[in-house]
Amino acid sequence: MNELPDKALLPAGMQDGLPPEAANEARAAQTLVSQFDAWGYARVKPPLLEFEENLLFGTGQAVAEQAFRVQDPVSQRMMALRPDMTLQVARIAHSRMSHSPRPLRLAYSGQVVRVKGSQLRPERQIGQVGAELIGATGAGADVEVILMAVEALESLGVTGLSIDLGLPTLSPAVIAGLALKPQVLRSLKTALERKDAAGVSALSDALGAGATAALLAMLNAVGPAKAAMNKLMNLKLTPDANAQRTHLAQVVDGLLAARPDLTLTLDPVERRGFEYHTGVTFALFARTVMGELGRGGRYEAGNNGHREPATGLTLFMDMVMQALPAAVATPSVFLPFGTPPQAAKKLRTEGWRTVQALEQTSDAEAEARRLGCVHVLEGGTVRTLKNNA
Amino acid sequence: MDTTQNDKLVLALPKGRILEEVMPIVRRAGIEPEADFDNPKSRKLAFSTNHANIDIIRVRSFDVATFVAFGAAHLGIAGADVLMEFDNPEIYAPVDLKIGYCRMSVAESKELGDEDDPSTWSHVRVATKYPEITKKHFASRGVQAECIKLNGAMELAPLLGLSKRIVDLVSTGATLKANGLVEVEVIAEITSRLAVNRTAWKTRPDEIGHWIERFREAVDAKAS
Repeated sequence: MNELPDKALLPAGMQDGLPPEAANEARAAQTLVSQFDAWGYARVKPPLLEFEENLLFGTGQAVAEQAFRVQDPVSQRMMALRPDMTLQVARIAHSRMSHSPRPLRLAYSGQVVRVKGSQLRPERQIGQVGAELIGATGAGADVEVILMAVEALESLGVTGLSIDLGLPTLSPAVIAGLALKPQVLRSLKTALERKDAAGVSALSDALGAGATAALLAMLNAVGPAKAAMNKLMNLKLTPDANAQRTHLAQVVDGLLAARPDLTLTLDPVERRGFEYHTGVTFALFARTVMGELGRGGRYEAGNNGHREPATGLTLFMDMVMQALPAAVATPSVFLPFGTPPQAAKKLRTEGWRTVQALEQTSDAEAEARRLGCVHVLEGGTVRTLKNNA
Repeated sequence: MDTTQNDKLVLALPKGRILEEVMPIVRRAGIEPEADFDNPKSRKLAFSTNHANIDIIRVRSFDVATFVAFGAAHLGIAGADVLMEFDNPEIYAPVDLKIGYCRMSVAESKELGDEDDPSTWSHVRVATKYPEITKKHFASRGVQAECIKLNGAMELAPLLGLSKRIVDLVSTGATLKANGLVEVEVIAEITSRLAVNRTAWKTRPDEIGHWIERFREAVDAKAS
């Protein structure tokens, strides 16, 4: 008898999806990919397992530590369970779809598995829905992907969205050319991650006056996008970094022009989680949910031989669901024993959800209530049960 | 959802000695808690303030980090030691409050210190309240640290043979000296910080930005 609780225990970060939440999440994921499809993003379906070197090569190195690995008994090579789907879609784009016209718009929906959860988000299996726009360089591509994410989430009923734009390549550009010791780099990374101005100032001896002032100005620019962009514009940058800043400014302008109502913030020092990104990035938040609903940004698809500019977005279904009202079960009609199959079919085509009695019962109404039905079929018509509507 | 609850900002303050240094800054930033806050007999844990949309909670300093990380509090004040130990990506620490000065150090008994050469260590056993910081610090030097977690009175550990070394906060060094210990290595300089929840800052940038600015001004006003 004590075997059952043991079998119900799942590995940390794994859970069973139950009714009605499981159906609700699947429906939401479907709505999101349909929205992406309406924007011209065609669905692809990458596999759960891939050879490690394909999945974790190049830009994939950033997520390598998140991947479960297993040896393929067939080829004897190491395989990895996908910890993220962006890389798979990028692989499809530069292999099987390398001859498809650019810009290439692809969408996906599926489950990913990670070796470790975090304290705040212990889940190790997460539903991802996303889209990638491959082979487009301009700021218009970034604006399209972000606006599409906003529209798709709003179509689900998510409110109070805010978007945080980042440029993770800017701080490396500012300190490029300075020969910094690994210890200084580590301290600087921590200070920037924490938005700790005092921590940056403490490193001013190693950084020099110019870089320190620039980094402090970037930290000071964290906040609402318009004011932040003005502050960033005062920075003296190398031509390369300046081009990136111009791109960011165009994205800000594009977004504010299309959706002046959006809460748009800027964080020019944020780098965590954007390890493989090469330009403008973004994270999506909703006021009622602690943590990101999704994120995305600029990266380079392809391998060393052939690289293409790309931008994409990933939504995390566990977080998206937290931004939505709690799931409610779809109301069902109880069909008493012996209801003709044709009558049942007719109800279903009319949009009803039916629950057929499989045995004769004395009290159809009580049985309907026991099974959680809100309606019962009586004499060919659907009657709503009292104080249950 | 209860929107009033959701709209209120919560500021988490640390209990204990540090609060005496913290409160002048909080007050200079323009936040005045209700009278019960200073009443030692009050059993209250949450307090209203002169701002209708700000509440204050008073918790242990490690719990300040937990409340802020999970967004249960939007703002908090905690020592850099706590934030380093907790090391959570959801916590930002934008303002150095320039109070609670001390340092996080490795200490050992005086006899050991006289003949010890830290560069030869490969494995150390350390009693500390900060196992994460300790492990990271020693790992960066290629030393494996076995940590024994204590919640206080670390100085007893070397005396009673629990471990030869400790990692703890040192301000004057008087406690170390009284227990026959010497400081052998400084891991970090510590001050108290204003901690901000990441999501709160991103979703309510104007409000949170306003309070960060107020705290920054409060610190500068004290300095000048």
